[in-house]
Amino acid sequence: MASFVQLVVSGLATGAIYALIAVGFTLLWQTSQTINFAQGEFVMLPAFFILASMNLGAPFWLAALIGIALSILVLGLLFKLVIVDPMLKHGVLPLVISTIALSLFLKESAKDFYSSQAQPFPALVPSTDVHVFGAVVSTQSLAVLAVAIATVVALHLLLNKTRLGRCMQATAQNPTLARILGIPVRRMVLYTFLINGALVAIASILISPIYLAKFTNGETLGMAAFLAAIIGGFNQVRGAILGGVILGVLDNLSAAYISSQYRGAFPLLILIAVILLRPQGLLGRIEERTV
Amino acid sequence: MSAVLEVSNLRKTFGGITAVDDVSFEVREGEILGIIGPNGSGKSTLFNCVLGQLTPNQGEVRVDGRVTTGMRPCDLNRLGVSRTFQLLQVFPQLSVRDNLILAGQEHQGSMFSRLIGHPDAGLGPAAEQMIAFFRLSHLSDEQAGALSYGQQKLLDAAMAFMAGPRLVLLDEPAGGVNLTMLGNLRDRLQAYHAQRNATFVVIEHQMEFVMALCTRVLVLAQGRIIAEGTPQDIRRNPVVIEAYLGH
Repeated sequence: MASFVQLVVSGLATGAIYALIAVGFTLLWQTSQTINFAQGEFVMLPAFFILASMNLGAPFWLAALIGIALSILVLGLLFKLVIVDPMLKHGVLPLVISTIALSLFLKESAKDFYSSQAQPFPALVPSTDVHVFGAVVSTQSLAVLAVAIATVVALHLLLNKTRLGRCMQATAQNPTLARILGIPVRRMVLYTFLINGALVAIASILISPIYLAKFTNGETLGMAAFLAAIIGGFNQVRGAILGGVILGVLDNLSAAYISSQYRGAFPLLILIAVILLRPQGLLGRIEERTV
Repeated sequence: MSAVLEVSNLRKTFGGITAVDDVSFEVREGEILGIIGPNGSGKSTLFNCVLGQLTPNQGEVRVDGRVTTGMRPCDLNRLGVSRTFQLLQVFPQLSVRDNLILAGQEHQGSMFSRLIGHPDAGLGPAAEQMIAFFRLSHLSDEQAGALSYGQQKLLDAAMAFMAGPRLVLLDEPAGGVNLTMLGNLRDRLQAYHAQRNATFVVIEHQMEFVMALCTRVLVLAQGRIIAEGTPQDIRRNPVVIEAYLGH
């Protein structure tokens, strides 16, 4: 029982990180039909921004802020202006291929310009163990959970409790009507890219102490986010959250109780089951699209 | 009475086809003008030219004396020209109330004011009033997409009225609506008109609806106005019967 609680808590922590990545992924899809196959590399990269800032002498907290700001600028603004805007005119598929190319570019750049070795990354809190219901839980897991939950709550408040969020939702749900009503649709779409830039940077700060900062990190993370989004429902922020959490917990439990050799297979089994039984995702809406 | 909308010598062609051919008319304040005509007679093209969705090849559109030809739909919206849609347009996952607040031009303002300002943008009470007027109060917190088709038509009309428009263009409001809901919709449109002395232009196929609602009717056929008059005149006009009603 104790180890079960432990596994669930650490699973929740990884799941919460997957959720952040998946939420950004679905936001881009909802507002601009961007399927970002570089999302994993988007999470890999900010860790290197932060490490580079620290090498220049910045303390961790400042480096983290610089990392988030750079991520919003480069992975949000520049990504939108340089890749999405020119490519989306040609359709969804050219954009998808461009994001795949971008993922390779980012990965190789991190390797060539920083290092091919895994880099240690400072944790948010010193790693000690606390006892919860007789189980030993690491403070790191708890800190990750706390930050991820706070981020999701902040995003929820932004989207649902502000006028800005309502305009963003309106843009995602019916851009034609939003445009007629005078909502600055292009700017709202840009905001979702900036938000995604912030989300991936936060995810990067949370995951890098666990995985170490390595140029290949994006491969697994991008896949996890993609699976989480499909399992939960591509067109729902809450779906992405649920998908991420399910994936994280399932990954830990299946590795411990069933087979650690096949741990990579279980998320895919769930994926197949969801696609067969509920193709719109657990919380997704069926969409009629005429693209 | 002054003209709210003046359309003069409007022409719109698509390739070799002239969809709207030298059409001129005006809509006076407080009037409900119906525009009828068989399919393909140019009604929707005319509407789209007036609403800024299409740019006419020739001619001019004026709203309250101001030339609006070539303006974007959102600019017209700001000038007080709003519309309902033939194919329903709502924000399906937002509540009925939020749909109305968005339609009330709350989007104006800086990003900062949108972020920290009151989420209702001061339009909450007006939205509730409009919801009550259309007898949708029990659905105010529901997602718009969960409403029945007829209820969404009412919401669509409520959204068009939300910004207190000078002129409302209704694009086939009766299309696909069952008879009970149709009576309800007509009743609400008439009540709104009576209360605010609002100005409407209605494109419609459903003859009874047009005849009961409109004070004046234009008949379009092959892009031209072939008749104009009160609903009674139109019913008896042999040209109209030949072109349209006779089928």
